[in-house]
Amino acid sequence: MVTREEIQKIALLSKLLIPEEELDGLTADMQDIIAFADTIRAAEDLADPDFDSISGACNAFREDEVLPSRPPEEILQNVGGGEDGCFPVRRRM
Amino acid sequence: MSMIQVVQAKLAAGEFSCRELTCAYLDAIGRDNGALNAYVRTTPDVALEAADRVDRKLARGEALLPLEGVPMTLKDNISTRGVETTCCSRMLQGYVPIYSAFVWEVLQKQGAVLLGKTNMDEFAMGSSSETSCFGGSLNPHDLSRVAGGSSGGAASAVAGNLAVYGLGSDTGGSIRQPASFCGVTGLKPSYGAVSRFGLVAYASSLDQIGPIAPSAGDCAAIYDVISEYDPMDSTCRGRREAALPRLEEGIRGMKIGMPEEYFSGVRPEVLSALESAGEVFRSLGAELVPFRLPALQYALPVYYILACAEAASNLGRYDGIRYGYRTAHYSGVHDMVCRTRTEGFGKEVQRRILLGNYVLSSGYYDAYYKKAQGLRGAIVKGFREAFEKCDIIMAPTVPMTAFPQNFTGADPVETYLTDICTVPVNIAGLPALSTPCGYDSGGLPIGMQLIGNTFCEASILTAAHQYEKAAGQHKATKWGVTL
Repeated sequence: MVTREEIQKIALLSKLLIPEEELDGLTADMQDIIAFADTIRAAEDLADPDFDSISGACNAFREDEVLPSRPPEEILQNVGGGEDGCFPVRRRM
Repeated sequence: MSMIQVVQAKLAAGEFSCRELTCAYLDAIGRDNGALNAYVRTTPDVALEAADRVDRKLARGEALLPLEGVPMTLKDNISTRGVETTCCSRMLQGYVPIYSAFVWEVLQKQGAVLLGKTNMDEFAMGSSSETSCFGGSLNPHDLSRVAGGSSGGAASAVAGNLAVYGLGSDTGGSIRQPASFCGVTGLKPSYGAVSRFGLVAYASSLDQIGPIAPSAGDCAAIYDVISEYDPMDSTCRGRREAALPRLEEGIRGMKIGMPEEYFSGVRPEVLSALESAGEVFRSLGAELVPFRLPALQYALPVYYILACAEAASNLGRYDGIRYGYRTAHYSGVHDMVCRTRTEGFGKEVQRRILLGNYVLSSGYYDAYYKKAQGLRGAIVKGFREAFEKCDIIMAPTVPMTAFPQNFTGADPVETYLTDICTVPVNIAGLPALSTPCGYDSGGLPIGMQLIGNTFCEASILTAAHQYEKAAGQHKATKWGVTL
């Protein structure tokens, strides 16, 4: 059964903050969801250990041709143009 | 005639101009979208510019391309250069892509008229469109019911006559289920048939873009255009054969498989409609072949383990640094990223990210993710063996008709169980469509799912088209434009 501590650990890995007042409810939800996922444990003999990928493609490469990059101002347009060609993040001590 | 053919015939005959047609749809959206909430934004400038180009072409006496001049929509997880694309999430509010999805580039070259972007569950995670930050889309047949999800907006728009067709995406049923709920036809192509370049990723081994339209004929026309090979998507192979030329083939002698596992737990009215559909297929000379597919019983947990694992990886890119939402107050970069993600993602998205990272984490990877991959192989094998005995498979799309609003809110697992009929198709990478096959006692549409072998879209579209011809007209709704 998944515990509060495990949920907190997974939240850290997920870069999510779970407010203390929501942790018990979320833990209960996740216990139900993981119990549902656990039903695959009963399928002992069915699994195909050699299954690799749903895509039939293998080594699907494009020609290695040099093309112009996108202009920096275009790439930065979703942060209002950026600063000195960079994505700015406010400095914090 | 398909609706696309009707529109193009009327344009060619001069019954109305493309601009007049487009304005009629834009006016109808202005009037009816408040009730249906199908659209999250309209693109009148883009639409009218395309419409005027079509009118100039018609004035020159030139013939139209297969989808030219037809008003349509795109789900809001399909990138449109210069047009905000949010996946109906706070995390991407204000995000304007600097490139377009391959399918949109193809449709633009076709002269498609983009009316706007449609509503969806946040990052395509949901079955009702209610996880959208813009609120859920409603069912044009009954406003107390959901349009379904995650492509609920597209289905609502088509059923509400606010677009001729829409493109949605399907990871676990997100085209087929809303098509079933709203009484329209929706096709999820084979994995690899349609480029995913520019589709905001949910689960990369399961996602596919496909059409939602009034009929199988419409879906076939759209599929033939969008299923072009794209070198920018290494999993894309394009279509193996065009569907439209085969639509009028009879289905005499076609073997239609009916897996037992698909028919348990289905509401009686849905079962009854499927039985009647079976009789129609028999009358057209097809043979119904019952069989068993035991691996299907694990399809739902396999889907949620694999989809959430992939989603946890895909959604790792949202950190507030390069685009989208960023929290206003933070103590450092790590704190900024965590607060941004916590404030930007809705609860269902956060749950799926947590589940995904749990099943990938040390100590659990073998028991969950690796095991689920093995079972995926078993499901693929089961379908492969089934297609040695039958040409296509028939099943319900959803075990019930459209549920009421807020039905899915209380218990996440209860919501996941409604995907039981659709997820096996995504796990196996197969093509499948939903088409209406009746109505329940409340007048809500019932959907029939037809599943084909890999890259055999033509078979299921042909069967659906022949069924539609034999079974008669769908019930039109009161909304939108009447042509």
